[in-house]
Amino acid sequence: MSYFRITLHRSAIGLPQRTRGVLAALGLRKRCQTVFHPVTPDSAGMILKVKELVAVEEVARPLTTKELREERRPEPGFWVERAVPR
Amino acid sequence: MSRSLLRSVMELRTPLTRLPPTFLLPSRALSTTTTMMQNVAPAISPAQTSIPPPPNTPLNPQKQAPMAPPPAEAAESISQLFPLLRAQPRHYITAHIHGRPYLVTEGDQIRLPFKMPGVLPGDVLRLDRASILGSRDYTLKGTPWIDSALFECRATVLGTESEPMRIKMKKKQRNRRSQRVTSKHKYTILRISELKLLEPTV
Repeated sequence: MSYFRITLHRSAIGLPQRTRGVLAALGLRKRCQTVFHPVTPDSAGMILKVKELVAVEEVARPLTTKELREERRPEPGFWVERAVPR
Repeated sequence: MSRSLLRSVMELRTPLTRLPPTFLLPSRALSTTTTMMQNVAPAISPAQTSIPPPPNTPLNPQKQAPMAPPPAEAAESISQLFPLLRAQPRHYITAHIHGRPYLVTEGDQIRLPFKMPGVLPGDVLRLDRASILGSRDYTLKGTPWIDSALFECRATVLGTESEPMRIKMKKKQRNRRSQRVTSKHKYTILRISELKLLEPTV
């Protein structure tokens, strides 16, 4: 079963109540928030209603909050090659 | 030994290494510089097949195209131009530690904006994440990172340094009580002990 990975890129400020209702139904509250929904006709229709605001990707499984944070973390860029005796 | 030999041969062939950078040269000298570099570049690496540069574009060996070339072309240009970069005497590198860039060269001392956990003075760190590697005349830009097999960059932990104590007075309105908040941060000091360019393994 695959999932939609939906990220809100444009804010809903100043948009009609119906559009904001669709975002609320998707569970999107603020910009750059990411939610996962199973690929169903319902979620596809909701995404089409707000397609100008969100970026959508199809993924195999939903990621947890911890994994999403880990995606954004930059790599350390170093490793300890020779440590002094401690 | 072979590197120093190669360097001396290069300096004999290119008297240009002693010239000031191209932006300081007069415009007439600039054009001669570029043509000289065109002639010299294949002479140093005779084994490689040289691609003649497009005739009408102004050739500047220090700059690459702003758009990232396709990977095959990039690999070819690395195999051709990396020996030239490697033969130059001093190099700099933009190493990234926790995503922040530090433009350093060998012998530099840098103060990280944080205290690195789990290291002691004397530890040798290997920096393997870099976006730019260059010398006086050549620059290798990563897309976005440079292959870490091309260079070896080591940094020695010198210790920690602390800033002077900061004192912040906090006061709420309509209340005489004021609070004194202090902070004193520590920062890790690194010295770039080694920056070496390796032979590309093709």
